Amino acid sequence: MWAYVVRRLWQMIPTMLGVVLLVFILFNLFGGDPAYVLAGKISNPDQIDNIRRQLGVDQPYYIQLGIFLKQIVTGNFGASWSTNEPVSHILATRLGPSMTVLVPLLIIETIVAVGLALAVAYVRGSLTDRAVMIVCTVGLSISILVYIIVFQYVFAYKLGWFPVQGWGDSFWENLVRYASLPILIGLVVSIAPNLRLYRTFVLDEINQDYVRTARAKGVSENRIMWVHVLRNASIPIITHVMAALPGLLIGAFLLERFFSIPGIGREVILAVERSDFPVIKALTVYVAVATMAVNLLADLMYKAVDPRVQLK
Amino acid sequence: MPTVAPLPGGIVTRAIELVLLVACLLCAPVQAAEPKKVIRDVFPVAETGFDPAAMHDLYSAGVIRAVFEALYTYDYLARPAKLVPLVAAAMPEIAEDGRVYTVRLRPGIFFQPDRVFGDKPRELVADDVVYSVKRLADPKLRAPYGFLVEGKFAGLDELAAAAKKTGKFDYDRKIAGIEAVDRHTVRFRLNEPDFNLTYVLSHEATSIVAREVIDKYAESDGRAMSHPVGTGPFKLGQWIRSNKIVLDANPDYRGFVWDFAPVQPGDEKLVAQMKGKRMPAVDRVEIFVQEEDQTRWLAFQQGELDFMNMEGPLAPNAIGTDGNIKPELAAKGVRLDRYVEPEIRYVYWNWLDPRVGGMGKAQIALRRALAMSFDASEEVRVILNGQAVALEYPIPPGVVGHEPQWKSTVRYDPALANKLLDHFGYKRGTDGWRTWPDGSPMVIKYAARPDTQNRQLEELAKKSYDAIGVRMESQRDRFPELLKLEKACKLFSREAAWVADYPDGDNFMQLFYGPNTYQSNNGCVSIPEYDALYKQSVRMPAGPERDKLFRKMARLLEYYAPQRLTVARYRNQLVQPRIEGYRRHPILASTWQYVDVAPASN
Repeated sequence: MWAYVVRRLWQMIPTMLGVVLLVFILFNLFGGDPAYVLAGKISNPDQIDNIRRQLGVDQPYYIQLGIFLKQIVTGNFGASWSTNEPVSHILATRLGPSMTVLVPLLIIETIVAVGLALAVAYVRGSLTDRAVMIVCTVGLSISILVYIIVFQYVFAYKLGWFPVQGWGDSFWENLVRYASLPILIGLVVSIAPNLRLYRTFVLDEINQDYVRTARAKGVSENRIMWVHVLRNASIPIITHVMAALPGLLIGAFLLERFFSIPGIGREVILAVERSDFPVIKALTVYVAVATMAVNLLADLMYKAVDPRVQLK
Repeated sequence: MPTVAPLPGGIVTRAIELVLLVACLLCAPVQAAEPKKVIRDVFPVAETGFDPAAMHDLYSAGVIRAVFEALYTYDYLARPAKLVPLVAAAMPEIAEDGRVYTVRLRPGIFFQPDRVFGDKPRELVADDVVYSVKRLADPKLRAPYGFLVEGKFAGLDELAAAAKKTGKFDYDRKIAGIEAVDRHTVRFRLNEPDFNLTYVLSHEATSIVAREVIDKYAESDGRAMSHPVGTGPFKLGQWIRSNKIVLDANPDYRGFVWDFAPVQPGDEKLVAQMKGKRMPAVDRVEIFVQEEDQTRWLAFQQGELDFMNMEGPLAPNAIGTDGNIKPELAAKGVRLDRYVEPEIRYVYWNWLDPRVGGMGKAQIALRRALAMSFDASEEVRVILNGQAVALEYPIPPGVVGHEPQWKSTVRYDPALANKLLDHFGYKRGTDGWRTWPDGSPMVIKYAARPDTQNRQLEELAKKSYDAIGVRMESQRDRFPELLKLEKACKLFSREAAWVADYPDGDNFMQLFYGPNTYQSNNGCVSIPEYDALYKQSVRMPAGPERDKLFRKMARLLEYYAPQRLTVARYRNQLVQPRIEGYRRHPILASTWQYVDVAPASN
């Protein structure tokens, strides 16, 4: 297994280089010249040149690319061009609020979606199954923006169950008071598509011979569903959940923006609006590394869940 | 053996009760920890940082205005805005026809205590003023408001040029342009006469910092964005970047007594409420950053915010077509503070483009026709929901030099525009679209950002040009790219906006001054007659003589039509009934130090 892990780690290097090149080319092609925004209302060509020199964007592309690679190796992406805040500080301080919303959301969403998927798959073809599927289809057809606007208006403003916006200093206050409504919205938005997806994974297994054999042997329906079927359906479910993990690093743009959560998603939008390349490239690199690491972890988990899986 | 009585109910019930109890405790407001008077404001755009020299945006300027002080500020109620001394003891003594300014400082003004001062207050002295103004010229800081001092003070540009070569700005080198005469006197010697220097010395960017603080807390690029230490009424208490800023009253601030004279209708009540109070009256200002309109509006209605600016699309929620606050809000005691922003918006055509720019008769006729095709009132009505006024004069209301009775000779008149184009050889082709005099198809490029409002402006421009048979092509790009092209005079046309840096007509008239091309002259206009008059105007103090020049310059702009003035927006500030003494100032970026909280609402 270790040989497999080492080989996969080696394979990350060319993938990472591809990501770096893509980000670099895209930013230089479409990112816009930040010097003109940073220069203020009245600037002259001298001042623009001075800013470009200080930011290093006047250097030939190969030198800029070399600096980018060095930053990745050292993990030091410098400071934000517009606020001067070190990028490492941005990541360290913004990840917490994003995680406060997204980790509980991912956990609850997975548990609820898997549980409901097993339940509706068990009564497949029934009126309940059809009704749930129709509700899911309608639910996932509606944009998250609509959910945010309606829920914020109804539950926070009209009913006063939650604050309209805000973020405090204590983790528990944030989790219980401020993150509740964003998590609720996240659940409503994500459960519908995940439930449909997980239901198909479960249905694929439910018709297998081993399920019929288990029934023939007199195994209880609960045990069949929760042990045999769930274990076999878990590989695609793990794949799906693991694919969502790197998303934690980039936060939930709209939820954070509407509910004033000082998370990484909001920072990403700000960085794009300000053409703040150091922040954009640091986040892109971290998300790329996290995606590759999580994919590797998912492969290792397949082996743990299903001993038939061979890591080659 | 002692026994513990079992709690009634099951384990699940007890767990739920425990969670709810914890939740209630967490959610309950902690009254004891709250300071006495707290006001809550909102920024729709994230701040960037609080170093005056590196100040880049209006919202950071608001915080800087509250934490730091400049030599001068504005009278809270006077309109048009009127300068008054702040750190200075009096208005400057101006000599040599506006070339030499002597400013005497008020003794006994202290920076808030900081580690760098051994946690003791440190007196603000003339050397601090000299240092703070010089910082704007330091190339390392790339000060966005460096233009306020560029070319102005004797010897400062040379100092900046030397710093570019050596990589180090020599703050210790004495220059004639900015010198500390004694501990409490600063003298400014200018390269040219300039009667607007006092405005510069009241700008947030010239707020006074202590050199020790910058030396201690500056980041590698010389800017100290996160550790503001000033002499102002507030100090930075907490800062969650791009999310929340808390300002606490500075206990070492000298304070002032609220004593302003009423000017506008409604000021009398405000004066009666506030006169004689020791300021600042509030203990804490909490500022939230919230970009989304709906969130801000709901939070305001729920009382989570004390102030709310109702811009374009939001305005109809609170303001009727008559410009008054809606009765349901008025019934709750919410007040509306409304005024025209000291700004102008204008559509320009590139003066350097030989087809549309320059002094040729055909080009002048073309620009006048294009200008006459624009209906500014439609922009006000359709795009800005009535929250703007159509402009007649290049100096907007509320700014020194504004002419309220002025009527522009450029009116919305597509019929006349068509005749003018026909007369000067811009014939219609068989397809109905006009051609250039050489017969090639005429196309006007209109640049705009790809956002909702700019798309609407673009549609309005197209409708205007369609009416006179001129084909328009859209050029959509992101703001940095448009700026880049604009600064290089490579945009054909665009609707630009300019908000006052200081409330003087000069700040607007300079937009069309030829030598400001590649800087603030977006349309790259160069009209020799205008430029000569502008040069004269900068050597004159504000008054009837200068106004006469401005009127001549305005007529020249109408005649040559390098641009078409469109609108200036209203600022509609809603204020909760608990706030007393609030009046939005057209220039001051923040006014928290002038307000109080009604006693009953604490």
